Order: sequence, then C-alpha cells, then structure tokens
Amino acid sequence: MELKPQPGMAETSVLERIEGRFGYATDQQHLPGLLHGAILRSRHAHARLLRVDTSRARLMSGVRAVVTAADVPGLNRLGIVVRDQPVLCEDRVRYEGDAIAAVAADTVEQARAALEVIDVDYAPLAVVDQAETAEQMSPLHGESNLLAREAFERGDTDAAFARCAVIVEHHYQTPRQMHAFMETEGGVAIPDNNGGVIFRVGCQSGHRDAEQLADILGLKPSQVTVEATPTGGAFGGKDELTIQPAAGILALQTGSPVLIHLDRFESCRTGIKRHPVSMIMTTGCDRQGRILAHRVDALLDTGAYASLGPAVLENFLDHATAPLYRIEAYSVSGRLVYTNNGVSGAFRGFGGNQATFAVESQLDALAEKLAMCPLALRRINLRTVDEPGSRGQVVRWSAPPTDVLAEAGASPLWAPAVSDARRRWLTGTGMAMGAQGNGLGDGLPDRGGGRVSLSAEGRIRLEFGFSDYGQNLAEAITCLVCETLGCVAGDIDVVLGNSRGPDSGPTSASRSSVLIHGVLADILPRWKDRVRDQAAVLTGLPCDQLYSGPGGLFAGGRQVLSYRELAEKGQPEQTRVDASQAFPVAPEGNQLVGRYLQLQIATVARVAVDRLTGRVRVTDLHHITAAGRVIYPPGYLGQIEGAAIMGLGMALSEDMPTRQGRYLADNLDQYIIPTLQDVPDQRVDVLDNTPTTDRFPVRGVGELGIEAVAPAICSAIEAATGIRVRHLPVDAGYLLAELCAQEETCS
Amino acid sequence: MSDPLSELNPVTERRAIRVLRPDSPSEAVSLARRFKVPYMAGGTWLQPTHERDQCWPEKLVALNAAWPAFRGLEDDSRGLTVGALTSLSEMARHPLVREYLPPLALFLNRVAGPGVRALGTVGGNLAVGGDLSALAMALDVRVDVLNRTGERTLPLSRWLRERASDDLLRGFTIPDCRGWRISLEKLGYRERFSPTRATLVCVHDGDRVRLAVCGEGGLLRLVAPETFVNDRADLASGDVGAVIDRELAAHGWQDAHLRMALRRMTTGLLSEVALGT
Ligand SMILES: Cc1cc2nc3c(=O)[nH]c(=O)nc-3n(C[C@H](O)[C@H](O)[C@H](O)COP(=O)(O)OP(=O)(O)OC[C@H]3O[C@@H](n4cnc5c(N)ncnc54)[C@H](O)[C@@H]3O)c2cc1C
Repeated sequence: MELKPQPGMAETSVLERIEGRFGYATDQQHLPGLLHGAILRSRHAHARLLRVDTSRARLMSGVRAVVTAADVPGLNRLGIVVRDQPVLCEDRVRYEGDAIAAVAADTVEQARAALEVIDVDYAPLAVVDQAETAEQMSPLHGESNLLAREAFERGDTDAAFARCAVIVEHHYQTPRQMHAFMETEGGVAIPDNNGGVIFRVGCQSGHRDAEQLADILGLKPSQVTVEATPTGGAFGGKDELTIQPAAGILALQTGSPVLIHLDRFESCRTGIKRHPVSMIMTTGCDRQGRILAHRVDALLDTGAYASLGPAVLENFLDHATAPLYRIEAYSVSGRLVYTNNGVSGAFRGFGGNQATFAVESQLDALAEKLAMCPLALRRINLRTVDEPGSRGQVVRWSAPPTDVLAEAGASPLWAPAVSDARRRWLTGTGMAMGAQGNGLGDGLPDRGGGRVSLSAEGRIRLEFGFSDYGQNLAEAITCLVCETLGCVAGDIDVVLGNSRGPDSGPTSASRSSVLIHGVLADILPRWKDRVRDQAAVLTGLPCDQLYSGPGGLFAGGRQVLSYRELAEKGQPEQTRVDASQAFPVAPEGNQLVGRYLQLQIATVARVAVDRLTGRVRVTDLHHITAAGRVIYPPGYLGQIEGAAIMGLGMALSEDMPTRQGRYLADNLDQYIIPTLQDVPDQRVDVLDNTPTTDRFPVRGVGELGIEAVAPAICSAIEAATGIRVRHLPVDAGYLLAELCAQEETCS
Repeated sequence: MSDPLSELNPVTERRAIRVLRPDSPSEAVSLARRFKVPYMAGGTWLQPTHERDQCWPEKLVALNAAWPAFRGLEDDSRGLTVGALTSLSEMARHPLVREYLPPLALFLNRVAGPGVRALGTVGGNLAVGGDLSALAMALDVRVDVLNRTGERTLPLSRWLRERASDDLLRGFTIPDCRGWRISLEKLGYRERFSPTRATLVCVHDGDRVRLAVCGEGGLLRLVAPETFVNDRADLASGDVGAVIDRELAAHGWQDAHLRMALRRMTTGLLSEVALGT
C-alpha cells in the first residue's frame, strides 16, 4: 500500500515551524530579570590549562557572574553512560568545543564581550587526530585511547571462509555527519526561589537530564525540574546535556533566569556528530550465492569523550552481522577510540546505518562476482519470519523479508529512465535493504510510562515524558486516544517532556511510539471504567450503557454528560491512571541480545550521474517499509522521508573533516546539507501483515528511513556507471576520474 | 567611554561599528580613503565574512542606491549598462536581461539563495569574484570606477589587476550582445545555494568564442583555449581539453579532478554555442 500525503495533512504546529512562528525555549526573551549566558570554548584541540583568569571579565559592564571549574557546585562531569566530560574543564581541554568558563550578563553582547577578556594560558599537547594511530598516542583518558572493543562471533569463520567459492573484501568509510537541526542548542534555567532550578530546554529526556543536572548542581533530584520544550529537531544531537549545566550554575549564582542559545558557529564546533567508521568487510558465499562467512573489522572515532559511543559501537556491530541474512559464521569486531576530533555520539541510525551501507555493498559485490542478480542473491539469503535473529535471539518481524524484497523488485523505478538528448546524464537504478530493531537493546534497562487524567477543566489529559522535536508525537497520541475513546482531538490535551510528569525514558532508539501504544492500551480502558463509574453516579444510568465519545459520555446515541460537567460535578482527580511498562524484549529465558521488535526497509534509488562532472543527482527514492501498523500517517511518512533525506546528505555531501583536531566547516555555508532542490521524488509503501490481535502491532519509525539510502544510491550509481563507491560522501571528482579512465580504456 | 576595557574588546568594537553615510559618491571615496575602510553595498558578503573571522571593521562606508547611475539597467548605443547597486534579484527579473542575456535570469537562481539575492548587489558580486565575474569577463565588460583621481571607464580585467582599495564601482557596461550565443554553467556541491566550485562561461560573439571561469581557483579568462578554438573551423572538434588543463593549472586551479570537470564542461558548452542552442 502506498502511503500518500493527504491535502491538509500538515498539522498547524508543522506549518508554524516551517514559517518560523513556532515558539521555542530560546524565544523566552521576556522573562523578568532574564540574563544571557555565554560559554568560553577552548582555542585548542588538546592542551593543558595552565591558568584561567576571569578578573577582567568580572569588571565588564553588565556582567553578573563568571564561573569556572571551581564554581561547579557538584560533580564536574557529564555523560549519559560514562560521565567523563567536564562541565567546565579543570586542567586540560580535549577538543576545540570544550567549555572552560561561562558568563551571565544583561545582554548577549556583554556576555560575549566578557568571554573575550578571560585570560587563558594553554600548553598545547600533541593532537590525536587519526583514529588509526590513536592507540599508540598518549591517552586522553585513563590508560589508553581504546575506549571499547567488542566482538560478536558465530560459528567457525575461518572454516566457513575455506569453503567459499567467492570472497569479496573491501574497505568502507563513512562520514562524520552533523545533525544540522534548525534550532541550535539552547534553553533557559530559572531559579525556583527555593534553591532549586527549573530548566526549559530543547532536549531528548527531561528525566534523565534532571538526574544528571542534580548531581552537577549539587542539588537533590527533587530540586531540579526539566521541561523538555518542543525543539526544532534533535536527531540524537540533543541527547547529551548541552547548555543546561552552564545555564544552571549561572542561574544559581545570580538568582536570575539565564538563557543560553548557541549560534550556528558554536553549535557546529561543540555539538556531537555521527561516528565516522572505517571498516574492512570480507564476505564469502558458495557457488549458488549462499553466504557462508562474514568478517568485519571496524574502527570508530568517538572523539574526546565517550558519550554514547559504546552503545553506538554495539548497535553498529549488531547491524554489521547482517541481521536480515542467514550467515553460517561471522566474526564481527570493532574498536572505539578516543581522539581530539570533536565528540561523536547519538545520531539517527545510531551506528546501524554505517554498517548497513557496507553490508549491502558487500552483497552487491558478491552478486557481481557471481554474475547474479543482486535481488536474487538477497532472496536466497534472507531470513524467514520463523528464524531467530543474527545473534540467536528471538525476533519479531512485521512482514516476511522476502515480501519486502519482492515489492522492491516490482518498483516502477526499475523501468529505464528517459535519457537526455545529449546523453550527458547516465541513469541507473539500485536497491538496498536494511533492518533495525526498536528499543535500547542489549539488556539495557528500558522502561517507559504515561498518564491519563481528566483535568479540572474537563479535558482528557495525556502525559508522557517524551520530547517533541518535530516528529509530532502529540498528534500520534491524539489519534490513538480518539480511536480508543471515540472522542475528538478538541477533547484532548497532550503534555510532553516534563520531568515532574511520568518518566517515559529517553526519546531515542525509535522507542516512543511502541511505548506510547503499549501504555495507552493499558491506561485508556482503565480510565474509561473510572469515568464511566463516576458518570453512572452522576446520571443515574447503568454503567454498561455509558460510553465515551466526542465531548463527553453517551448513552443510547446521545450525550448525557460532557467531560466538563463530569470534571465539575465528579472527582476528576480520581480518574488519573498511571502505568509504566518494560520495552518489549525477547521472551523470558532468551538471551538479552539484539532487538526484539524488528523493522525492515528496502529502498530503491534512481540516480543520474553527470558524465561531464561526476556529480550525482538522486531523482527518485522508493521505500518499502515493514514497520507495523501505521498509527499516524503523516508522522510515518514524515519520518521515513525525512530520515531518507538525511541519508541522502550522508551519501552525497555531508562530512565534517578535521585538521589537527579542528573541524574544517563551521557553518551551514560550508557544511553542505541537502536543500529542497536536492530532494528526490519519494514514495513510501507500507507492508504490514501484523494481525489485529498482535501484542506489539506498532513500531517506531524514527530511524528506519535512513537505513538503506546510502547503499541504494551507491548501487544505483554503479548501475549507471559501472563504478562502485565505497567511501562516503560520494566524491564527484573520484567518480569523474573513474569515468574518464573507463572511457579511455573503451576508446 | 565609561568602560575602560571596552577598547580591548573586539566584540564591543563590533557594537561600535560606525556606518558612515556619505551624501555623494565623491564623499564616499574620500571617506573610504581617509579611514581606510571598506564600502558596504548589500552587506551580504561583509557580514558573514566578519562574523566568521570575528574581526569587525571600525567603520563602513555605506553606498546609496539613489545616487545617479548606481542602480538599474539601461541600454543605449554602447550596450547594456548595469548599476553596481542593482540587486541580484532585480537583475534576474529585468526585461533587458531577457533581451541581452537570456540564460542569465535562470542562472541567477543558482547564485546564492533568495535572501542573499534580494540584498546582494551585482557590484558586490563582481567585487568578490562571484559567479557574475566570469560572465562579465567573457563579455569584456567595461567598468565605470570612481576614485580620488576622478572617474574612468576601463575593461574589467584591467580594473581587477590595478584595483585600489578606494575604487568605487558605479556600474559596468556590457557590449551589445543581442544575438550572441551565451552559455554558462555552475558546478557546486549541491543543486542550489551552493558555494561555487567553478562557474564556466562560453560566449560566441558571431565571430569568436570567449571563455572565462571563476570559482575555487579564481577568476580567469581562458586565453589559450580561446585561441586554440578560434583558430579552428569547427568549434566542437579538436582536443581543447589539454590546453584548458594547462591554462587552469598554471593559474592556481590545483584540483586535478575539478580541472577534468572543467575540460568536459567546456566541451559541452562549446558544442552548445556551436549548435546555437
Ligand atoms: C550564504 C551566501 C551564499 C552565496 N552564494 C553565492 C553564489 O552561489 N554565487 C555567487 O556568485 N555569490 C554567492 N554569494 C556571494 C554574493 O553574491 C555576494 O555576497 C553579493 O553579491 C555581494 O554583494 P553585496 O552588495 O552584499 O556586497 P557587500 O557585502 O556589501 O560587499 C562585498 C565587498 O564588495 C565591495 N563592494 C561592494 N560594492 C562595491 C562597489 N560598488 N564598489 C566597490 N566595492 C564594492 C565591498 O567593499 C566588500 O569588500 C553568497 C553569499 C552568501 C552570504
């Protein structure tokens, strides 16, 4: 089934965002007594800090506070998993975005001016800027620059390789991609006049951030509130704390609200990026194309601090095992190293899409060697729905992988494109597949809750801890609630992202939709019962004749009590229902590895390659998705298409190279993201065989769309030119040189 | 100044940028000369450049589009005269552009983005070696320049060689090019709103072919390739590629792949002007 945009599908909040009218946390410029904060960043990628002298800055006009490491009231460290990053550096800086001091002043200009007169003496240290040699360099932390090494093994790989008729081995490289959200990091910290702090900030997990912030600020958890306000995009880039610690310390010092908003330069320089991966993949199969053996040796550059690097490595390796395909033996290993190249961490796809790029390219390489159709090769290797996952774990697909492949094979994009009169553009079609699991995975604690209540004003109030960063969760929740309660959108208030409300866990790992669906299935029937009981008392009608509907409760087809009347006359506080549940994982007794709820995508790409310059235009993308029930069509479509455009950027133009540990691009005029003119025609198909009785009919699709785009584009480029690109982003110059070499040998 | 430290501070300096607003072009020239500060037209280049370098001039001399002949397009027997303070978007929509330079209106879509085009001027674009400079170079435009010694009209190429910091560009004149065949192409990193890797212009004036390029390697009239092509009867034939490559390499176009693209783009544009499409 093709999922088509419907007229009027865009919700008001989406239009507000597009037109720049949406109010973000950083728009709160009119809070009484508001001060503006600014953060002093390191001038060096790696140095000892010899002296930080703030005395001149303190005398500047308008300056209310200047803080350094000594002023951090609690733990001077942050990090979701490993707390290894100083809030304000004490004696050493490890990347050019490292924070050294922060200032609060009456205006932004005054705050920034004060930064200029903070005197810092550095003693530069050798910069670790090559991941390949990082382990031989003196360590950034502890004993070694090797932060983590992990390997997944299955069967006897050497023996399996020995039996292969065909083996392909290639090196792959993926770029350091930037999230490039439209709203840069920012928010405001407001003292609550009781010693605590309230944060209004764009972030991905209010609850988790509140815990870290309490530790940093030396406060009790109950003294920190985080309101995760709707943000202009996050994509993993706001998973870690950004401006919160500095804003919080300054707010405590001054007793005034402090707003910090990074400009694009600072955002580029300090923000987390996608891990660049360098990997060698070796894959072998028998004469018939059955894959027997697979080996991966990967190196991930995590930059100066761990952030979510170890989890990214795990997810990368999970995807590097080629989860869609049955492989007799594999040996998949990766190393994660510290360097002074910024910081890498969470990013939509979370390591998985880097692996899939290489895995899918390997399958094409095998097919080519066997002179076999790449789709046929995939067909004989794809798992069936009854088989376990690549790591032996129980998995749950929402459609057979071969069905997804068959739909991809039937895509209209395989029909030859009309070529231009001068034959300047070479066209070609290619495809790739990808699988992705929902949830934090690998036995990490993964729970989430939500709440429904009737507000004093008679509104059905739904609360979740998830953040809204443009994916429009509120609309998805509203759709589900209307479906279950028979009410209309106007009856509902959705409140998201408040750390005082229910803890839903982080807004990441494509987990929100799954948990929202699960929690609603639990709380809504209970809420309905409570409301009905109260309505029965108030109306005198028997409970079983009452049902909820638009605007209130109904009996025999007519409204007998509005929600407002119920709230006024009944006991709305008694209707409150809370629930929390574990993210669905493989049933009891199974190994806690891999992801249980699996999603799939096949992306078919059509490209045109310019014979004269080597530049690539992606003209069409057709995605066949199997990701469970569609609960909110605009959200589903938006996520798949939006993620695919990020994949397109990663494939064709986005990279943040470094020299001596410093990023070479500092703004969006140098860091090239796709614009609307680069966006191809896209079609999204949904394949869903989940029975209505399925316990987990819904999956999260926030990351699925990016999974197979890059390898599909490279496969299409190969179809157009005969040249396979294995280093991303595709270098037009390289492609052109290869095209010229081809022409020379042909002529 | 109440704050004694502010002088040390480049950021407060920025707040103190003084925009000088002269009444006449000649006053503009003397102010620019006296204070050794740049002119500001649309400010679209100056602003991001200074922001990136975190280095702000103390003063700027604002140019005024209302000064006679500084803005708008006009044609007479000399050709088409364009005021330096005409915005890029004004240029794109002007009927005379459709008449004299038919491919330009569409091409301007690929120069910066709508916001920059609305503010940015054609004079500013020439001054910073933007996409228009290759076109102007290939068309042999003459620029109209004022400075302390008075005003003069000279070929663009000469002005660029001899340019003094207080030279004020009033406008430029394109020879009557109606009936010439002009093709131009930009190579960037993406479809729109991309920094220019190379913009290549090929003009056939009915007699000879002219070629110019601007971008990563700088502005360059491709003299040797022009001669090579013009000496042959058939424009589309002959291996002009090697000549182009040599010429580019000799003038600072270091990226061999980019030179390769330019070779091939040139062949493409040559066949367009040869075919008259
Ligand atoms: C995001 C972005 C993208 C861009 N993309 C492109 C692109 O794709 N292609 C392209 O060609 N250009 C591009 N540009 C450059 C753009 O064309 C120029 O910024 C613009 O044309 C400059 O005009 P201005 O009036 O704003 O100049 P200003 O910024 O005011 O001045 C620029 C320089 O020219 C001098 N100057 C200006 N007018 C005169 C004059 N009359 N006499 C003497 N000196 C003068 C100034 O002193 C200054 O040194 C881009 C710019 C930006 C900011």
